[in-house]
Amino acid sequence: MEESAYFNKYNPINGVWDEMYGENSNVRDHYRKVIDYISRESADDLNKKEDLAKRLFMSQGITFTVYNSGEGIEKIFPFDIIPRIITAQEWAFVERGIKQRLTALNLFLKDVYSNQFIIKDGIIPIEVIYSCPHFLREMYNLQVPHDIYIHISGIDLIRDYDGTFYVLEDNLRTPSGVSYMLENREITKRLFPDLLPQCGVRSVTEYPSILYKNLLALSPRQIHNPTIVLLSPGIYNSAYFEHTTLARLMGVELVEGRDLVVNNHKVYMKTTTGLQQVDVIYRRVDDDYLDPLVFNPSSMLGVAGIMGAYRKGNVAIVNAIGNGVADDKAVYAYVPDMIKYYLNEEPILKNVPTYQLGNRDEREHVFGNINKMVVKRTNGSGGYGMLMGHASTEQEIEDYKQEIIKNPRDFIAQPTINLSAAPCYMQGELTPRRIDLRPYALFGPSGIEIVPGGLTRVALKEGSLVVNSSQGGGSKDTWVLA
Amino acid sequence: MLSRVAASFYWLSRYIERSDGILRMLKINYASSQDTIQEFTWEPVVRIFAGLDDEEAQTLENDTRAVLKYMVTGKTNPNSILNIITHARENARSVQEHITKDLWQCLNEYYHAVKDSRLERALQREDPIGILDVLIKQVMLYYGTVEITMERGEGRSFMNIGKYLERAIQSVDILDMKFVSINDNPDLLTDTSYWKHLLLSLGGYELYLKTYREGFEAENVLEQVVLNNDFPRSVIYSVNNIQRYFDRLKNDNNLENFREMSFQIGRLQSRIKYNSVRSIRQEGLHTFLTQIRGELYGIGNAMNEYYFANS
Repeated sequence: MEESAYFNKYNPINGVWDEMYGENSNVRDHYRKVIDYISRESADDLNKKEDLAKRLFMSQGITFTVYNSGEGIEKIFPFDIIPRIITAQEWAFVERGIKQRLTALNLFLKDVYSNQFIIKDGIIPIEVIYSCPHFLREMYNLQVPHDIYIHISGIDLIRDYDGTFYVLEDNLRTPSGVSYMLENREITKRLFPDLLPQCGVRSVTEYPSILYKNLLALSPRQIHNPTIVLLSPGIYNSAYFEHTTLARLMGVELVEGRDLVVNNHKVYMKTTTGLQQVDVIYRRVDDDYLDPLVFNPSSMLGVAGIMGAYRKGNVAIVNAIGNGVADDKAVYAYVPDMIKYYLNEEPILKNVPTYQLGNRDEREHVFGNINKMVVKRTNGSGGYGMLMGHASTEQEIEDYKQEIIKNPRDFIAQPTINLSAAPCYMQGELTPRRIDLRPYALFGPSGIEIVPGGLTRVALKEGSLVVNSSQGGGSKDTWVLA
Repeated sequence: MLSRVAASFYWLSRYIERSDGILRMLKINYASSQDTIQEFTWEPVVRIFAGLDDEEAQTLENDTRAVLKYMVTGKTNPNSILNIITHARENARSVQEHITKDLWQCLNEYYHAVKDSRLERALQREDPIGILDVLIKQVMLYYGTVEITMERGEGRSFMNIGKYLERAIQSVDILDMKFVSINDNPDLLTDTSYWKHLLLSLGGYELYLKTYREGFEAENVLEQVVLNNDFPRSVIYSVNNIQRYFDRLKNDNNLENFREMSFQIGRLQSRIKYNSVRSIRQEGLHTFLTQIRGELYGIGNAMNEYYFANS
């Protein structure tokens, strides 16, 4: 079969699942139209498209600022123009798996902050829960509207060498990146006219309206026009662009902590015509900074007294506070057990095998096989503080071991998973780079909805397995086919 | 509307108007510097628009390219176009969901145009008028975008109050600067090109030619810049507009503050409206302008107190 020049030069990585390059050295069917389309373009044309993408991100201010020697430098998140494509079948599987997992995790949060049956029945050891810094006693017996804790989540998925999906992480606190799902699609529309409808790509534009509908349904006051706000830490936050995008797309007010005030257990915002009561807060401020009276007393980003208003049920907060106990990396290992315990079902999506370094036998095993392991902090994120066993020097490993021994509960280890690869356009040719997938799930009173798409992050450095944007990662538009 | 948002609208607008005033003033002063056989001095410009003291101003005053660099891309000058547009954009960023996407992109492009490292180089080597024109166009684009895309709500009222307040202050400043220079050098009083450049930097040259047939007279210039209702950069035109947009903020929940401010604005309006060139002359132009400037600052402070105090 005749293939394009771009495809002929493509070298898939050995022993790694390739999203485009199938068995028998063929383009997988769902990638064919895209490959055909780009093979009609010269490298020059594709370079122009790459430039156009950069300019669009820049002129729309889809940037984050890096402060260097007192001067702000605008940067864009690197974007690869070749989309990542997911078939209808793969998506149906992922969707079912995420819904199942979230249902169980939400039940877990309800349980762990009330009766704690799962501890009493010995499914999860009590010390795993109580040693977790994100387990907040302030949430104990606090009634949240509709018993929903995880209104918005981003579950990180990866694929092993045989294409099997694994859950790498559950992000249940304030997952970010959804604006890139939306913006990347807008950019693709500009880069490849007509290609999206030709390929039958499902739309992602419903996300803000579903989120808005869910927020509206949470209002404690039964009035026709409740006040919904998005609470942001402010313009210096690296995700500020996302906060403004979501506020704009939903038509809700974007507020900062200093715009809000609590009086008599009700939350108000300060307007030019006096105080106006707030009903629902979609907050992008971490638990710790939310209420200086209850949590971190030095926080300038939060609102004094907001916890009291929440406890009284006068304001709905999204996501619920204290969700961190459910996406803690040590608790992660128990999620398959949770699914069996609460739902009496077999887990659809697999967990990556996880070793608790707080447990001596497992620690010994990990230390013995450290070259094949990834060690992470249980409360870390953003790819910081990780040890990639296969890519570290003896000295680094030794130093890291010392850290572990000081506080073994703070660490877990997982065997190195071979992230799947997808073609990226680089210097005039297609070349494979490792990717993951973060679909965004919205949990409302009427159930869980997942917009068909998500954020595909890509490790742009050759051979790298770290997709985090803080570690040289970029992103791709993510297509789910109808 | 959130008080913080209202304040951001107001400041965004003030900063943009200020950048417009400074760019036009630089352009005309530069043209003027090419049109004189005496050594051209930038001293009044850097003193008034960058707040430099005499000593600092002296080191710059005769070096046109250094002044341009300092006024446009100077990092240490709080009123450089670079710093002004950075502030404007930060204000816009914090109210991004209240302004249209078009407006945000337009501000962004303005910002990137000023940040571009090629601009600084070009300012040193190429024709400054061409470069200043590129930036002036960005401001015009901004005003067009506001006009076409922004909703006619509370936010726009705050923007307009900021815009006209800034404009009135600028006109007063430029006028004061020009007339103070005359005290030092009375020959300027009869210097046609001196008045011509003043009018050009306010964009009022054509109107002046149509209104007055007897050439350039200081009194006529004064009349146009302070009292002409049809001149968009006159002090009275700006104050009338402050009042017009302020009236739209009337709201039952905030009546007391509204009345307080309304009184202040009305007083200033009458002070200018019921005045003539002759009475201003009698009073002394500098005294008159100083008083007006004081009143304008007073309005700015009152806005802060009554409408943005929460922030």
